[in-house]
Amino acid sequence: MGGELLNSSSSKVSYTEQFYEHFPFYLAIGMTYDQYWNDDCQLVKFYRKAHKLKNEQKNQELWLQGMYIYEALCNVSPVLHAFAKRGTRPLPYPEKPYSLTKEGNKQEKEIQEKINRQKAKAVFGAWASRLKLPNTERQKSAN
Amino acid sequence: MAKDIRFVHDGKEYRLEFTRKSIEIMERQGFVASDIVEKPMSTLPALFAGAFLAHHRYVKKEIIDEIFSKMKNKQELISKLAEMYNEPILALVDEPEEAEGNITWEASF
Repeated sequence: MGGELLNSSSSKVSYTEQFYEHFPFYLAIGMTYDQYWNDDCQLVKFYRKAHKLKNEQKNQELWLQGMYIYEALCNVSPVLHAFAKRGTRPLPYPEKPYSLTKEGNKQEKEIQEKINRQKAKAVFGAWASRLKLPNTERQKSAN
Repeated sequence: MAKDIRFVHDGKEYRLEFTRKSIEIMERQGFVASDIVEKPMSTLPALFAGAFLAHHRYVKKEIIDEIFSKMKNKQELISKLAEMYNEPILALVDEPEEAEGNITWEASF
């Protein structure tokens, strides 16, 4: 029992065959002939990691592109509506690309909040001036 | 970095290492790793000589044999050479990703 394990062809496996079997993959991910056959044998691990990172990066880029396309479709959708009112215009395409870093996101959020505050201040100021409220300071001094 | 063995003989520095090419050459010349168990007397010196192919291809066989005969702690040397010989093929195999079903193991030697 177990003899089939000892006599299996795996014990006579040729390393060279295995090397040739994997060789095209490493050529495809950018390794040279010399790097694969003559350089540090551990180099393949780093090429594999780099290949994985590249794939993730590509996936991220494609996802981002999909987001831009999706947003563009959403923005233009008001005019695509069959019963859209006359004069309906598409929403403008974003003025700048999405920021990809946390820092950029934070800065963008801060700028947007500042703009919103200024807008609110202007609206409130206009509303207050329309009310013609008495100057409470002067009233107090007059009394 | 690949595993290697370094030593000095007759004032010359040697660095023993296996590359895929050196293993290919060894196998072409008839070296079979599994023969280590069945024919250790002929296979072990061949394994040692094969480790010269990567960086010292043109060193004569007599010098390699002389170095081998002078090497201390042969058992440890052979185990290290075997580890080095397997490295180029093991580097091609990915470690399984962290998962619950993975098996951890340990040896008593």
